[in-house]
Amino acid sequence: MGEIVQYLLTGLSLGGIYALVALGFYIMWEATKAANFTHGDVYMVGAVLTVVLVEKGLPVLLAASIAIAAAAVIGALIERLLVRPFNKEPNAIGWMLTTIAAGIMIESMATITYGPLGRPLPSPLAEQPIRFGGAGIYPQEMLLPIVAVAAMFGLEAFYRRTTIGRAMRAVAFNRTAAGLMGINPNRIALIAYALAAAIGALAGILIAPVVQAAPAMGALIGLKAFGVAIVAGIANARGVVIVGLCYGVIEKLIEGYISTGARNAVGFTLMILALLLFPQGIFGRREVVKV
Amino acid sequence: MTARQQFTAALLLGVAFLVLFRQLDPTGYQIGLMMRCMILMIVTIGLNILIGHAGLVSLGQAALYGLGAYVAAWLAVKQGVQFLPAIIAGVVVTGLFGAVLAYPTVRVRGVYLAVITIAFGLVFQNILVEWLPVTGGTQGLIGIPRGNVFGISLTRPIYFWVVAGCLIVAFIIQYNVIHSRYGRAMRATAQSENAAKALGINLAATRTLAFVISATLAGLAGGLYTFLNLFVNYETFTFFHSVSFLLMVILGGTGTLVGPVIGTSILTYIAEILQDLQEWQIFAYGFLLAAVMFVMPQGIVGSFSALWQRFLSKSRAHETQGWPDRSVPLAEILHPGEERGQIALKTEALTLRFGGLTAVDDVSLEVECGRVHALIGPNGAGKSSLLNLISGFYVPTGGRITFFGASIAALPSHVLARQGIARTFQNTELFGQMSVLENVMAGFHAHYRNSLAETLLRLPRFGREEHRFFSQAHQLLKFVGLVDFAEEEARNLPFGHQRRLEIARALALRPKILLLDEPAAGLIHSEIEDLKRLIRLLADHGITIVLVEHHVEMVMTVSDHVTVFDYGRVIASGTAAQVQKNPQVIEAYFGHGSVVPRGRPMTALVEHSGAAE
Repeated sequence: MGEIVQYLLTGLSLGGIYALVALGFYIMWEATKAANFTHGDVYMVGAVLTVVLVEKGLPVLLAASIAIAAAAVIGALIERLLVRPFNKEPNAIGWMLTTIAAGIMIESMATITYGPLGRPLPSPLAEQPIRFGGAGIYPQEMLLPIVAVAAMFGLEAFYRRTTIGRAMRAVAFNRTAAGLMGINPNRIALIAYALAAAIGALAGILIAPVVQAAPAMGALIGLKAFGVAIVAGIANARGVVIVGLCYGVIEKLIEGYISTGARNAVGFTLMILALLLFPQGIFGRREVVKV
Repeated sequence: MTARQQFTAALLLGVAFLVLFRQLDPTGYQIGLMMRCMILMIVTIGLNILIGHAGLVSLGQAALYGLGAYVAAWLAVKQGVQFLPAIIAGVVVTGLFGAVLAYPTVRVRGVYLAVITIAFGLVFQNILVEWLPVTGGTQGLIGIPRGNVFGISLTRPIYFWVVAGCLIVAFIIQYNVIHSRYGRAMRATAQSENAAKALGINLAATRTLAFVISATLAGLAGGLYTFLNLFVNYETFTFFHSVSFLLMVILGGTGTLVGPVIGTSILTYIAEILQDLQEWQIFAYGFLLAAVMFVMPQGIVGSFSALWQRFLSKSRAHETQGWPDRSVPLAEILHPGEERGQIALKTEALTLRFGGLTAVDDVSLEVECGRVHALIGPNGAGKSSLLNLISGFYVPTGGRITFFGASIAALPSHVLARQGIARTFQNTELFGQMSVLENVMAGFHAHYRNSLAETLLRLPRFGREEHRFFSQAHQLLKFVGLVDFAEEEARNLPFGHQRRLEIARALALRPKILLLDEPAAGLIHSEIEDLKRLIRLLADHGITIVLVEHHVEMVMTVSDHVTVFDYGRVIASGTAAQVQKNPQVIEAYFGHGSVVPRGRPMTALVEHSGAAE
């Protein structure tokens, strides 16, 4: 009994990361029908930068705020420089390659300046695990799924209640028509990428006390989160967060009941199967193609 | 130079280069590097077919390469299998995996496919590391015996030419595939899925073929790598390597013949220099990828050939000929039209609903063979939806469609096209980056009889068929007055010419019935007069024409039979003269209580259509 509770809790924590990073993919996708393919590296930048700033003597909250702001700027730059020029025609793939290039550069830059090894971010929430039943978990880890769900509701409210949010939905629905209504789709794209990057960086900072911040921490998480977003159908925030949390739990269950080694192989295979069963994603809408 | 001459020149140059290289007495290291480079070229040539022609991006190519390598290595080390069978087994297994990976492409493309190929690569990586008894874990498989063929030990000097021979074969396969109906079908599916389906091209089969060919070449390269390196390890087959394969293809020029060879050479050379950079090496790779995308997204060969094409295009004479050209012997190309007098097409209670909206409502009509049957009605009346039902793009919610007596409802478009249903599109759908001639050649796709083996080996039947359809394509271009434009890219044609080309391409299918979806839209008056003559000519030839058109004057003069739609229903049907007098038709067009001059309804309709433009 304790065993399964343990898997559920750590799975939810891991799933919280996938959900937050995947939310970023969803936000970018809605705005541009493209994304920063290596969004996982933005997540890493959040964590690494915070650790560096804390080591320089800044208080954690200030360091985290600066790191999130920096990540938002990086996100906006990626949109302006690497996505927009390579996403001109429908089904363009140039942005995939340019953002992969950016990811490679960011990660190797981080490795060179920060060093390849992970360093911890001190946090009062990662010192004493809470125990219930036979399971134990740091409060820090429980933050992730909570923040993910909060981000999801926050995003929904943002999309529904604010002018910018409504403009973003308009752009997602029909870019050209939104442009004709006086919405600048390029500005919306910029905001979306900055927002996505900020959320991604936040996820990185939240998990840094538990896993240690390292340059290589983001690449695989990013790819998995993109898979999560795609499997969810990149159609709504709820779907993305639900699939993200579930994927985390599934990975932990695979680790527990099959083997740690099989985690990625089985997880990704499930992902491929899910896409075969639901080509539009589990929560995706089928697009009617007009001939 | 023709494509064939370019290919021969490139091949001879390559062989000469290799011979010269061996004469220069290179060091063992240099020979090894050259062999690795040639092996990578085999991978990128395959990837080029997939990306550059079929328009499918694989970010898991390194895994296919690794699969070929590990299968050969495992057989050689653990089962004591000889060089040749080990390599062949690697190729076959990888080819099969290619087919499996291609399955999702039936439904998904773009990023969805990218995610699936990435996931495949990571699963493969994970298995290599974890499945110790078979893959040797992180250590990999070591102690692979040197290859041995027919008693000859494959020492390095001999193995060099084995690898070179495989590269040459890969290069020839690439040329033979892309300059054939298979290559045209791949490009067609990449550039317009709808038009490809309408020409009888099976999207799933075409994409699967592209995947299998590229996987097979990756598998071959993997096997060769195994017997060169004599040990294999998971580190050679990571996501990073998949990205660098992609970079090689793009750097050289996707879709070009020698692009992958050049891109691979340059990147292998650069990698050697970058080794001095040590930790900055990976950064430099990323920078290079971004730089290539910014500076020359078409790649080295692609950029040069684009310049060259522009120069050629300027130096060519482009005279638009009159159309339809009656001197063209249509009887030799088109369907003989023996079924005159029969009912070509019949719909019974045909219904199509989108959610709560009924686009086509209980429509029953008959189209007689060899006649021009027009479908008219206000916008949103369901005319185009009906065409889409007949050509298989939509599946009816209810009712029956029969084509010469056989039920065809719910058959896929490409099957219907092969039965003789051709169509054009409201927004012309050409294969924009293919030449005008190639567009028409793609139209003949369904009529080729030679097999893939005959195409790859360039057996006599391939040549005969290619020659025959080439000359027929020329005839069709002459028919629509576009002979001078044969070598131009279709997207560069003026709009009116694009319409002509689309009709010529549809005729290449040798249709029994031709569905024209607003062919006059966007044409000027004189072009419409030409179009009317063309339609009559085709009908006289025994081809049934179904015409959806808003240009009422054209409809009234060219049609044998007119069916009028409103809100998805048939409100009138008869000869042009009959429907013009029908009060319901007048109401649909002018609204209830309209004052239409008595006795002059046709003029009123014609004026109305004129005013609407």
